[in-house]
Amino acid sequence: MEKTAAKNISISGSGTSSGGEYNQVKVNGSAHINGDLKCEEFKCNGSAHIEGNITTGTAKINGSTHIEGDVEAKEMTINGSTDIDGNLSCQELKVQGSSSVKGDLKGKEIIVRGSASVQGNLSGDEVDVKGQVKIKGDCEAESFDARGNFKIDGLLNAGTIDVELLRHCEAKEIGGENITVKKTRDSSGFKKLIKFFMNNHNDQLTAEVIEGDQLYLEYTHAEIVRGNTIEIGPGCVIKRIEYKTSLEVDESAKVDAQEKI
Amino acid sequence: MENLISKKDLLEAANISYGQLYRWKRKNLIPENWFIRKSTFTGQETFFPKDDMLLRIEKIKSLKDDLSLDELADMFSPSPTLTSLSVEELTKRNIVSNTSLDMYINHHGTTTSYTFNQLLTLYVLDTLLQTGEVNRSEGMDLLKVLDENSKNLKSNESELIFIRKMGVSFFILTPEPAKLFVESQAKIIAHYKLNQFTEELKLKLS
Repeated sequence: MEKTAAKNISISGSGTSSGGEYNQVKVNGSAHINGDLKCEEFKCNGSAHIEGNITTGTAKINGSTHIEGDVEAKEMTINGSTDIDGNLSCQELKVQGSSSVKGDLKGKEIIVRGSASVQGNLSGDEVDVKGQVKIKGDCEAESFDARGNFKIDGLLNAGTIDVELLRHCEAKEIGGENITVKKTRDSSGFKKLIKFFMNNHNDQLTAEVIEGDQLYLEYTHAEIVRGNTIEIGPGCVIKRIEYKTSLEVDESAKVDAQEKI
Repeated sequence: MENLISKKDLLEAANISYGQLYRWKRKNLIPENWFIRKSTFTGQETFFPKDDMLLRIEKIKSLKDDLSLDELADMFSPSPTLTSLSVEELTKRNIVSNTSLDMYINHHGTTTSYTFNQLLTLYVLDTLLQTGEVNRSEGMDLLKVLDENSKNLKSNESELIFIRKMGVSFFILTPEPAKLFVESQAKIIAHYKLNQFTEELKLKLS
């Protein structure tokens, strides 16, 4: 195929393209692309349906986009909604709208301000969630920061895990070096209003097993908690704790069994 | 059943923390299929193949000061690292003995450079010759079997077994961990995991 790297396509209104190699691809109306797309810049302000893979430098999706293949991008911003049937790999991903990935999601920096769902595994250096995340597989990161609501069906594995509870958070297993789970304290008026309508007692983390070097937990329900230094704050319900160096338990926490190893 | 060790006992035996174990898992220093889930009276627990795991942890601990975790991950991954090495480089760095190199050249003819897989074959041959487990003519048989089957092997899990009975010897190459039951006069002279060779070779080359 002849290289058309210097060319741009811009679809305003409704149009189809067979894909190919471009510099800039811009969709302002509705577009249907019947093949793989390679470009420096992809921008969709309307709706786009791509029957193939995309490799791009930057992708900015303000409208809605459905990609049947894999996506590879350096930088990707999703302000609208995006469905990806394959895998998404991306240096920097920012989801401000909603996105769903059927495969795996890989990235260096993953920021979620809206909602994201991943059917496979998620792995990244930094994962920052202030919204909602659902992961069917495992979640691996150097740092995992959450202030919102997450549900991980597999293992949450990160160096630093920092969770500020807002509504219900859930993971099957949690493991890492430093794990902190706290309930949000600085409730602004707006949050109080939201909480008034939603059940306040729902701020809670549920996991079967939590293992780490240093743990501080509040409002956490777990079967087993294991670690070196463990501090159990208020609102915890834990069946069994195994610790190595030290253990502190808040009066209001309920711990069935504890053992120094 | 392979000898398994629970996560708790492993941390105790290897003297590492949960954090380290999870970090190494994240960095792919420990293969995913070594994490074996089993149900126990406290719920689901994770177990590991004991010998493999302790050996791996020992290696990580002894190498982690010299290599970064990413470099270590490269070393443990079954995929080859470098693409080729010239003959001069090979002899200069003393990776294999001249004897095995001569045998290899005898079998394949001369080339100017070696791919990783060729180097691996050479290295396996050299190791078995050096340990005295095989003699020269058996070494030629080994070259043949490695050559003919290199495409069928998933290098990560493959095993090489060498058996001798009343002076008659043969090799077995299996892509899966194998359990062998041999008759009493037959003796298993050598039993190797191929990924062990891959790791050692990568270490020598790096």
